[in-house]
Amino acid sequence: MNLWESFTLALSSIWNHKIRSILTMLGIIIGVSAVIIVVAIGDGARQQMADDLFSTDENAIPLYFEQTTYEENGEMMWVEPPAVTGEQLDAVKEVAGVKYVLGTNSGWGTMNHNEHTADMEIIGVDNQYFIAKDLTLLEGRRLNTRDNDSYSRVAMIDSLTRENMFAPDEEAVGAIIDINDNPYKVVGVYESTLPPEFRHMEEFSNGQMLMPRTLISMMFGSPEIDTINVIAEQPDNLTETGFAAAEKLTELTGSEEGMYVAEDMSAYVEEFDSFYMTITLFISSIAGISLLVGGIGVMNIMLVSVTERTREIGLRKALGATRGQILRQFLIESVTLTSLGGLIGIGFAALVTAVLALVLPFSPIINPVVVIIGILFSSMIGIVFGILPANKASKLSPIDALRYE
Amino acid sequence: MIRLSQLTKTYGSGSLAVPVLRGIDLEIGDGEFVAIMGPSGSGKSTLMNIIGFLDKQTGGTYSLNGEDVKQANEKQLAGLRNKHIGFVFQQFFLLPRLNAQKNVETPLLYAGISKKERTARALGLLNKVGLKDRTGHLPSELSGGQKQRVAIARALVNQPTVILADEPTGALDSKTGAQIMDLLTELNREGKTVIIVTHEEEIAAYTDRIIVLRDGLIVEDRKVTS
Ligand SMILES: Nc1ncnc2c1ncn2[C@@H]1O[C@H](COP(=O)(O)OP(=O)(O)OP(=O)(O)O)[C@@H](O)[C@H]1O
Ligand SMILES: [Mg+2]
Repeated sequence: MNLWESFTLALSSIWNHKIRSILTMLGIIIGVSAVIIVVAIGDGARQQMADDLFSTDENAIPLYFEQTTYEENGEMMWVEPPAVTGEQLDAVKEVAGVKYVLGTNSGWGTMNHNEHTADMEIIGVDNQYFIAKDLTLLEGRRLNTRDNDSYSRVAMIDSLTRENMFAPDEEAVGAIIDINDNPYKVVGVYESTLPPEFRHMEEFSNGQMLMPRTLISMMFGSPEIDTINVIAEQPDNLTETGFAAAEKLTELTGSEEGMYVAEDMSAYVEEFDSFYMTITLFISSIAGISLLVGGIGVMNIMLVSVTERTREIGLRKALGATRGQILRQFLIESVTLTSLGGLIGIGFAALVTAVLALVLPFSPIINPVVVIIGILFSSMIGIVFGILPANKASKLSPIDALRYE
Repeated sequence: MIRLSQLTKTYGSGSLAVPVLRGIDLEIGDGEFVAIMGPSGSGKSTLMNIIGFLDKQTGGTYSLNGEDVKQANEKQLAGLRNKHIGFVFQQFFLLPRLNAQKNVETPLLYAGISKKERTARALGLLNKVGLKDRTGHLPSELSGGQKQRVAIARALVNQPTVILADEPTGALDSKTGAQIMDLLTELNREGKTVIIVTHEEEIAAYTDRIIVLRDGLIVEDRKVTS
């Protein structure tokens, strides 16, 4: 009797006891699918998080001001970030590994044009912004140093604004638009870089706008630079470069009560990883218990099966089956049973993750390594918990087995 | 050639020891047709089981074709059963979930015969025992006589030299029993050694030699004259 024949024999014996087999496999199904689902959710969430953190600018890292003193004379103290100037940022740019330092500010304005009204974000930029962000110019020109120096009342609109607020055949460059009841001149149109999920939000549906940051500061009474992003030459050294740039900026601004720090994105990921590792371990240990209980269930059923089939075993021995052949038959049966449980568990996990992908804000990612481990592990359970019943079957004396009532 | 000398079988040990066979001397030549008779509990089945390698003797020797089988280990015994012996049981002992053909094929699985040859041999034998049109039937769809025919086909499929039938007609009515005996007689004519256990004189009358056991000893061994 070759392996394939033993296997088909095992399958038919499992098939003959459908309900019992399914119930026996339940522990294995739950254990295997739980691990696959949990790991898939974790991988999906992690991927989403990494995308969110790094997608907009893979090699950009924000610098922000963190106060080091919180109290003065027993009272809570709020430290105003120091005013950062363009010259200081130019000095930070000289730090090794730094490619660009982007100082921006922003505000929200109401734009009126052609009977259309839209609230939109206006980003105050300098002349480097366009190159550093690698924006695509569609029409007109970029903002330049002179625009900033002379507080020019000019704006660049993005492709979304062009589409939504202008007629297709209308000349956008040179048009005068109205923002917060003041006129501004459009000098250029650029390709929008808003991610798709933002475009669905009402406040971004009509795009964004760029203006000289000096102008924004004047319009909104805000600092000329309130957001600082460092772009590294090498994305790999992003965090180190960010730290060096932050140190330099702290030195330049000379604040006593606070310092500039770079946001360490990899720390978020690491934190998430360790948090998720805890959950994975927890679920895995529950799954492990489920598999153990499943394995004991398999052993129990196999023992019952051996007892039920005592006569069959006796007969097979009388017909010439050796101990090894009987042992193999029962072992293959229990391995088939648990592997089938593992396969059903994988199928179930695939189904659940497919449903979860529709419900969750991210898609769970099934890890093929976990799937393979799931199959191997469930087969192993079949061997470990099948060996005892199989051994018992093989040791039956044919004559006693045949006489068994 | 089956040769038993001073063969004993004792169940249990010490004060609980039950001697079942107490010194059997017996020779059965190739191609003989033998009936073993005797009262219930006299040790007939025990003797058959030892001859069929299902059980081991406690003392004495058993040699098959001149070879002492005392030294045979578990695996060799399985091989001897598979190669030399075809069993027919009173309760048929067919595997209930397998059809007639698959039941007949079972010993061939353990002999490592290819699927093609298994099918050919099983169908050939089912044809021989008159069940040509029942090959796909499950045991539950067969009459007692048909079941026993399947069992006989199964006993023959490995081309054994010896057919052991412990009360093969015990669960059948006399007419069906007679048909089974006709079949066994035919097999004997073709050269098989056939040994049956029976309680019935009419059944024993089909054979050429009757051995009577009582309390674990052979008390009579005679030729049948027809
Ligand atoms: N496993 C065993 N343990 C103890 N005693 C046994 C065992 N098997 C059989 N015996 C005893 O051995 C004796 C012979 O049994 P056996 O089955 O050989 O008789 P038999 O001649 O075939 O009887 P029957 O005609 O009723 O089938 C009986 O007394 C029985 O109780
Ligand atoms: Mg008996």
